[in-house]
Parts: sequence; structure tokens; C-alpha cells
Amino acid sequence: MKIQSKTDHMLLMLVVALAAWAIPGAGHFIIKERKRAVIMFVAITTTFLAGLYVGSIGVVDKVGAKPWYAAQIMASPVVGIIGHVSENTLDEQGQRKYVVYGRCNDVGQIYTSVAGMLNLLCIISAVYMVYCGRGEIIGAENDDT
Amino acid sequence: MIPDLTDMLASFTRPMDIPTDPASMLWMFPVLLAIATVYKATKIRVVLLPNFIRQVVILFATVSVFMVFLGVVLIFFVQLITG
Repeated sequence: MKIQSKTDHMLLMLVVALAAWAIPGAGHFIIKERKRAVIMFVAITTTFLAGLYVGSIGVVDKVGAKPWYAAQIMASPVVGIIGHVSENTLDEQGQRKYVVYGRCNDVGQIYTSVAGMLNLLCIISAVYMVYCGRGEIIGAENDDT
Repeated sequence: MIPDLTDMLASFTRPMDIPTDPASMLWMFPVLLAIATVYKATKIRVVLLPNFIRQVVILFATVSVFMVFLGVVLIFFVQLITG
């Protein structure tokens, strides 16, 4: 695919950024950096899911842990849904059901937040590659020498 | 199939039991591996698997050794102050 104009180039950068945010590695996949995309997807998704497994969905707390949430939301918009479920699911006493404390909360928050920050790095990397004309214009990563 | 899926999803609503002891510091190593992997995936120009794995292992080992060294220094420092 040839880049037609500056507007198309900007649009491609925007699409790549949004795709990379929605699904880790998708930005690189679009520009045909497929090995990179698979590595990023596996590493970031595994880290995020490990964090959720260790600390439960209670580690995504957009009220009590805003700075952590800001990092976590960079992993994917799905984090917003998880945060909504975590915040609005109440027990019989009307308290939040998914509240987590202690070391498992620390580990879970660190894992999920690091996954978010790593995805931010991947978003920037994908957009920069489009900006530089790597990947998509060249056509295949094997030619990228 | 459906009960399995439900059980799997339910496991994400119950936190694990991790005691606050020195062994819990070992949880940093998987995250260091993830950081090394993604960093190298963004950094290297051409992804050739053997070279990529080698570079990830080197970075992971370097960061891990430094973290352990930092831990030892901090323990020494704390003992110096409190002991």
C-alpha cells in the first residue's frame, strides 16, 4: 500500500496508535512487523493476566488507586470495563466486592501497571515506525535491514 | 466446557495468598523478563529469533544481577543503621 498524502500518513499513524492500544502488538501487526507483534502481544498479555490472576480484578481500582489505574488503562480499553465491574460489583452490605489488600495487591498492581507501560512503549514504537516509513511501506520485516 | 470457563474466570476474582516474606521478592523476576522482552522487541532493528533470545537473556540477566546487588546493598545499609 502506498502512502498517498500527508493526511493519509497521519490517518495511518492514528489507526496504528489506536490498534496498538486496543490490542497489544496490533499496531506492529498492521505495519507488517508480525514477529514483533506476536512477541509484544504474548509478553504484555501474559504479564497483565498474571497480575489479574495474582491480585484479582480488585487491583484495577479507578477510585482508590488512580495513578496505578492511569498506567493500567494503557494496556487496553478493556481495563476500563474491568475497572467498571470492579467498582460497581457490591456485596450484601453494599460494599465493594472485589477489594484486595496486602502483598497480592502490590504484585497485581505492579504487574498490570507494568503491562500498561510496556504497551505504551509499543504504541510509541509502532507510531514512530510509521512516521519513519518502516514496516508498512517496506512491505516485510525481512527486508528491513 | 462452560463450567470450566466459569471456573477460569472466577479465578480472576479471588486474589492469591502471597505472604509478606523475602521469598515474595522473587515475583519481580517474571516482570523483569517481560520488560526485557518487550524492550528488546521495540529496540532491535530486525527480529531474528536466536539473536533476539540472546539479547533478551543478556538484558534480563544484567537487570536481575543489578536488582539483587541493589537488594544486598539495601540490606547492608539497613543493618548498618538499625544494628
